[in-house]
Amino acid sequence: MLLAVQVAVMAGDNAPVWILAAGPAGAIGTYWAIYRYYRNTDKSHAYERDTLIEAQPVQGAEEKVDHISRTRDSDIDGDNSAKHRERVQRIR
Amino acid sequence: MTAQDDQGPDAPAAGPRDPVFDGPPLSLEEELAAARAEPAPGPSIETVNESLADGVNRCPKCGSTDVRLRGSTGMLVCLFCRHEWQEARVEEELGLGEGIDDLRGTVIASGAEQIAADAEDVVTLTCDGCGADVVIDTAHAMNARCHWCRHTLNVNRRTPNGAVPDAVLPFRLTRDEAVEKIREFAGKRRLFAHPRFKKEFVPENVLGVYLPYLVVDARAEASYVGTGEVQTRRWTEKTGDNTTTYYAADVYRVDRSVAFTVDDLTMEGAADRASFDGSTTNNIVNTILPFDTKNAVRWNASYMVGFTSEKRDLDVAQLQPKLEDQLLSIGRSQVHGSLDRFDRGVRWEGEKVDVGGSRWVSMYLPVWIYSYFQENTKMLHYIAVNARTGETMGSVPVSQWRLFAAALTVGTFLEGVAGAILVGMS
Repeated sequence: MLLAVQVAVMAGDNAPVWILAAGPAGAIGTYWAIYRYYRNTDKSHAYERDTLIEAQPVQGAEEKVDHISRTRDSDIDGDNSAKHRERVQRIR
Repeated sequence: MTAQDDQGPDAPAAGPRDPVFDGPPLSLEEELAAARAEPAPGPSIETVNESLADGVNRCPKCGSTDVRLRGSTGMLVCLFCRHEWQEARVEEELGLGEGIDDLRGTVIASGAEQIAADAEDVVTLTCDGCGADVVIDTAHAMNARCHWCRHTLNVNRRTPNGAVPDAVLPFRLTRDEAVEKIREFAGKRRLFAHPRFKKEFVPENVLGVYLPYLVVDARAEASYVGTGEVQTRRWTEKTGDNTTTYYAADVYRVDRSVAFTVDDLTMEGAADRASFDGSTTNNIVNTILPFDTKNAVRWNASYMVGFTSEKRDLDVAQLQPKLEDQLLSIGRSQVHGSLDRFDRGVRWEGEKVDVGGSRWVSMYLPVWIYSYFQENTKMLHYIAVNARTGETMGSVPVSQWRLFAAALTVGTFLEGVAGAILVGMS
């Protein structure tokens, strides 16, 4: 940490100081990658893929309701289209 | 010819229709009782193997009771005369896998029916060979040797405690093959494994267990509503030395629905292994699904000789919410392909599933399990092998200090590289 601060001071204003986050990020990433490889806490049966499913054609509609003229977000907030197991409000 | 002509000349002339008399009107109490009544139970599938009774299973050729599964062939073998045979596949025998499109209501096979609250696990059988009473704890085993005459006694008939399923999928992988799979799995995870685990690792202690599952066919329609965004423009603006990217997008309300059938969706039938929170390693055994459940055969306790078992303790009613949850997930994966035009993503906000019909069959499925109890964390770790497909998954206890050391080494190296880059740029 002391080394990082010292380097940041030496680097001056123009250098991308955020690059110093590489150390802590790499350490955390290494820890989790190895932990998951050993403990497999993230694994489960992929029943969405591994079950025999026969589906009819998907029905649906879409209606334009608004326009965002200027935003810095590159994608929609709370995108859960690929998180099939994340439950949302049940409509009765 | 008109409809009236059909009635012939003696038919009474058509007049205003008289109300049909269907008995005296019900009293208020009777009306209320009818309204409160539980819905009539759905149709059931009878799966009792009528050819077998509790007690000895005899070889059809020589009459010996020394019968067990021969893993390499998946058939029952008589250890006395070597005759081999097998029970019929339930897929054809009971018509499973057919008519899923026409399922209505909840169809429950007799082996998946509700467990009686006061049902005992311990069953006492009278040995057909010598008349001795033999006790079998059906929570863990479905056979026992008569300690007097050495006949093998089996629990074949339906018990009200959920121990006898509709079908069983016999072990195919041999014990030696399972040991090899477990050794290979753990061998790839030696470096950061807990030293005590490595010291005490004896894969030969693997156990063959029949675990209880409910196998479900279902017909459903799932609907989803949400918001999707389509990018219409992307540009960058420069402020001083900084450039910022901006986006413009159209916002849509998105509706999707899909009707589908699922064949042999498999769910844990034991409450102890049905929850997948981080405090257990239950997800490990869940991961080795699916099994080739189409090859399950009619129940015969001789398939269990030499293996332990765990009885079902979850009813269909308790698993209905889980079925709906899984059907919603399946529906979401099915509609995913229709969302390509929403390049900024879709946020689902509401969902609904109508289960038109479901059919539930209970099965014992074969698993080789190596378990290890980690003392310091009180965590039970498993390495499990699917005894049909050979799929292996496990949880190996880690040595935290080694893991920290590795993380620190990588972190320090990356920090050094980053520092060098910064110093070089200054």
